[in-house]
Amino acid sequence: MRPAGLSRDQRFEAEALPHLKALYGTAYRMTRNSHDAEDLVQETFLRAYRAFDGYTPGTNIRAWLHTILYRVRTDAFRRAGRSPQTVELDSDGPAVAAPQDALASGGEDLARALDGLPEVFRTAVVLRDVQDLTYEEIARVLGVPIGTVMSRIHRGRALMRAALGGRKP
Amino acid sequence: MSCNPERVTAYVDGALDGAHCPELEAHLASCPDCRAQAEAERELRARLKALPPPTPGPELEARVRASLHPRRRKASWLLPLAAGLVALLLWARGATPFVAWELSRDHDHCFGKRRLPAEVWSSDPIHVAQWLAGHGTSVPAIPDAAGGLELVGARYCVLLDRRVAHLYYSNGERHLSLFLVPGPVRDLSREMRPRGNYVRLLRVGGTNVGIVSEEEDNVEAFKRSLSSTIAWDLAMVDRPAP
Repeated sequence: MRPAGLSRDQRFEAEALPHLKALYGTAYRMTRNSHDAEDLVQETFLRAYRAFDGYTPGTNIRAWLHTILYRVRTDAFRRAGRSPQTVELDSDGPAVAAPQDALASGGEDLARALDGLPEVFRTAVVLRDVQDLTYEEIARVLGVPIGTVMSRIHRGRALMRAALGGRKP
Repeated sequence: MSCNPERVTAYVDGALDGAHCPELEAHLASCPDCRAQAEAERELRARLKALPPPTPGPELEARVRASLHPRRRKASWLLPLAAGLVALLLWARGATPFVAWELSRDHDHCFGKRRLPAEVWSSDPIHVAQWLAGHGTSVPAIPDAAGGLELVGARYCVLLDRRVAHLYYSNGERHLSLFLVPGPVRDLSREMRPRGNYVRLLRVGGTNVGIVSEEEDNVEAFKRSLSSTIAWDLAMVDRPAP
């Protein structure tokens, strides 16, 4: 149900803009630098604004915004001629943080372990563990089956645990 | 049930469908490895949730808002465009064809009425000049008649952007307008025929003067008369006081 008496712009301001910091958090984890993350967020909100009529009021707007964020990200990859999906799910992916980093106990090593994940796993872990989206929502954001979501989250966490604890993933 | 680490992950996330939960819980009770995985994932989840979120620069929100309203951005080039158009209009209004066209239109407007809309009625140039001077317009020496047309009266008329003194000359059938035009008028030398009238713009004793009539002869006769009147007037001024 739409709040009565609010214009489209006012609804967008009230419903979408409060999630700017959350979107930035995901964008930063995806791109691993603030400059690209800010560009990604700006483009995401611009597209979301244009597509706002397609958003169903009452559904999880943060998940909807993340769907657009992920699309903007993959479009950028497509333009650059590569894809975050090209990582083989069965491979171990690129090396994660070195074991000595795992000795640190603060948030720094955790962030480093997260940043060390291949993007395809990193995104799944961030959407689940940082943004707290459900498997169904993540499946919609990434445009993949729920089984794939489960697999990526599992793989991502296993790689992180290995990086943090020196355990074999 | 054998170990299925991906299902353990789904169980930790509460994403395992209800039918499979009792089976997995039974397995966890008997499998220390899977129990350890579940515990480690819960702990990792808790640590990730507690990770300080990266914060954007303070200007990001403003940047996003600005990009949502391109109309506001348009003002950045619309303003100079509008200023350019205004400057062009200001420049164009002083161009002779523009002024001549306006005078010709006003001539048709006033003489097209059933009764001339004069504010002062007089055939005496001194009387008319005094009336205009009383309203802030300095009037050069003007003839009382030329080419058979006589001064009838005058009024102020409003052009697009300025107020001009409009003096009427007529013999009943033929008409002539004398305009005293304040403000800029460039390139006075050209003869023009806007809207079918003959128009001459002259500079007379520091004042821009426009002569408009339907007939060229009237304009030429008036111009000659104006020149001789001015010459006479100047001669009067130049004459030493007795």
